[in-house]
Amino acid sequence: MTDIDKLAGSVSNLQAGLEAHRYICSSQIATAVYLAYQLRKPVLIEGPPGVGKTELAKTTAEMFELPLIRLQCYEGLDEAKAIYEWKYGKQLLYTQVLKETLDEVLQGAKGFTESVNRLHEFGDIFFSEEFMEPRPLLKALKEEDGCVLLIDEVDKSDHEFESLLLEILSDFQVSIPEIGTVKAIAEPPIVFLTSNNTREISDALKRRCLHLYIPFPDSDLEQRIIHARVPEIPPELRRQLVTFIQELRDLDLKKVPAISETIDWARTLLLLHTESLDADLVRDTLNVILKFQEDIDNVAAEITTLTSKAVKN
Amino acid sequence: MDRTLTSFIAALRSADVRISTAETLDAMSAVELCGYRNREFLKDTLALVLPKTSDEKSTFNETFDQFFAFEDVKGEDVVVELDGDGNEGEGGSGQGQGGAEGEGAGGGKGGRKKNKFSSFEEEQDEEDLGPGEMAKPQSALGKLLIQDSRVELTVRMASAAKEVSLEEIQVFTQKGLYTRKIMEEMGLGDLQQEISTVRQSPNIPDRRLGQELKKRREWLREQVRDYVEKQFLLHADATGKKLREELLRKVKLSNIEHRNFRLVQEVVFRMAKRLVALHSRRRKVFKRGQLHVSRTLRHNMSYDGSIFDLHWKSVKIDRPKVFAICDVSGSVANYARFMLMFLYSLEEVMPKVRSFAFSSDLAEVTDLFERNKLEDAIAKTLRDYSGGSTDYGQAFEDFRNKCLDDIDNRTTIIILGDARNNYGDPRTEILKEMYDRSKRLIWLNPESRNTWNVGDAEMRKYSAYVHQAEECNSLTHLDRIVGNLLRTIQ
Repeated sequence: MTDIDKLAGSVSNLQAGLEAHRYICSSQIATAVYLAYQLRKPVLIEGPPGVGKTELAKTTAEMFELPLIRLQCYEGLDEAKAIYEWKYGKQLLYTQVLKETLDEVLQGAKGFTESVNRLHEFGDIFFSEEFMEPRPLLKALKEEDGCVLLIDEVDKSDHEFESLLLEILSDFQVSIPEIGTVKAIAEPPIVFLTSNNTREISDALKRRCLHLYIPFPDSDLEQRIIHARVPEIPPELRRQLVTFIQELRDLDLKKVPAISETIDWARTLLLLHTESLDADLVRDTLNVILKFQEDIDNVAAEITTLTSKAVKN
Repeated sequence: MDRTLTSFIAALRSADVRISTAETLDAMSAVELCGYRNREFLKDTLALVLPKTSDEKSTFNETFDQFFAFEDVKGEDVVVELDGDGNEGEGGSGQGQGGAEGEGAGGGKGGRKKNKFSSFEEEQDEEDLGPGEMAKPQSALGKLLIQDSRVELTVRMASAAKEVSLEEIQVFTQKGLYTRKIMEEMGLGDLQQEISTVRQSPNIPDRRLGQELKKRREWLREQVRDYVEKQFLLHADATGKKLREELLRKVKLSNIEHRNFRLVQEVVFRMAKRLVALHSRRRKVFKRGQLHVSRTLRHNMSYDGSIFDLHWKSVKIDRPKVFAICDVSGSVANYARFMLMFLYSLEEVMPKVRSFAFSSDLAEVTDLFERNKLEDAIAKTLRDYSGGSTDYGQAFEDFRNKCLDDIDNRTTIIILGDARNNYGDPRTEILKEMYDRSKRLIWLNPESRNTWNVGDAEMRKYSAYVHQAEECNSLTHLDRIVGNLLRTIQ
């Protein structure tokens, strides 16, 4: 039994393992990793931005000590950038070289048919592995000891690209017309897909994945996360700032602060040697947690109440 | 245990969570891995495998709690569960342990029942027989009731429910029917017989038995009713909803009652979403745009690397420009409401909807929709503009003054109205102008076709200057028309 197997043997092990790598998570999240490993199914992670979707994949790779291969999706991403591409320059160069040796090859051949037959003997050398540039998805399949494949923000890609993913997600293989089917060599990769829900992911893709929704954490969990990420911050301040953020999330905002913002804020407050929250301080540092002027204006009016609430509890 | 899983999945499906066969298989292998021991673990696991949106997740949570709480009734926890459920405190055994899972919907009712049963209230017309010896019951059900053996009663109830195929219950009005059926299956007939015989018997112990049996029969009836209710919520509520929705799609929009508006809105959104998914992206390869280098090279390989067959890539997303002109006078207001709802739900594929409302004077309400929530905007539109008497001539005149120039050959104009002009000047020449300028002009008339020209309706005159005139008075019509609209605008 290898280390990885032992680690992925139970949910609590995984939770502890992730925690050791400073990723504090609920049992739901740990269960997702557990199932992803045991069942070898891709995990589609959804949730508001900044709750640690990408981070989960990174931490998992770190924990299992596997390489992380990341494919960032964007509009217009196609197979040439995601799976493979032919090395055109090399192909062209070789054509030029071969042109000169063509006479030698065809020497002695009688008639057109025989010449063509001789050429056929060479096979499709231009479309073989030597001329192929593997891109992230293919690379992930070729990784000997397995790897963690992160397909980030899959909702940003086009519909067509989603269909392209289906084969690799369900069978861990890709079909390349000129070569044939490439299968995962030994260990199939552990696949994470993340989505911000800017558009609906197709049912076909969802069907092939486990679906994990990471919501904003509750107060306890968030405090533990802050503790793990910014250990220097005093407990009392930590409690205050988490309470404040939690209150903020209930307001009607254009973009509610996520965990990453809470962490940034904690670091900011630490830098300013803060002991306890007060209204002025909050007002000055509000731009760390709120990213729209509109939101800042909205909250500014309520700062005093919110702060006193956070301090009092 | 696979049976449990499949019936759980059936319950999920009826609660509108879409689960494919492949996912069922996934769930099975996942459950093999995690087992049924740890309830939370099981829930986490299934929550990852089965529901695939956050909406579905919350449905899943509810269904899971209901379903697996109930599962215990059939298992070894029967006593516990029944006690917790019906709050039959006097039974006593295992009340403490049962509490955790038994606080379902039955709680409130259970409390009242307890009073009825355990405080031994006598009905007024009952003769007071006082305490004393009681005769032994003869019928099977009677025996069970007097023995107070809840476990067996529950098992009986569950199997009787299966016998009458309770899981096929569809609408709530069937609850009474199924309750009776289950009671009969459990041997109500015999019990009734016995009750009426012993109550007429001259023996006091017999009569005492009669009273007791009657009381316990009532208690049993409540139990069964609760059970049916729970099963109904689990299996049928969603089906019932589906039936209602199906109906709403077909019913005339003007007949939809106010309380159903929310449901209609859901249906509209769902229909709109389908259309959005269908039409959201359309890739076109053009003779201009960005050079598609790799494809160009690949295709020119066969020409000795000399590049003369160029390939271009360019993504073109077609988004129709739609002008919606709605008659919001009393007779058509409701139709206008749903059409606007539909059009604005399609924002993703039709971001450029401009809407106009009129009864006599026409005004643009696009801003209103941008600034307010959909419902508010519709309500405001109807409030502000539905006053006057219908005058199509005036409305067209206003439209010409306001924005005839904005209409180009990519614009689609949708006019919703019954064309009842109160015998005023129809001003068809303006409609002709709009017709000439636009790509398409569609007239939707909520009245059925054979009344289009009756009375003050001017449909005959107008229909000469529209590309398409359609009857449109239900959601299905709307769906079809908007779907066609998206398809033809390419």
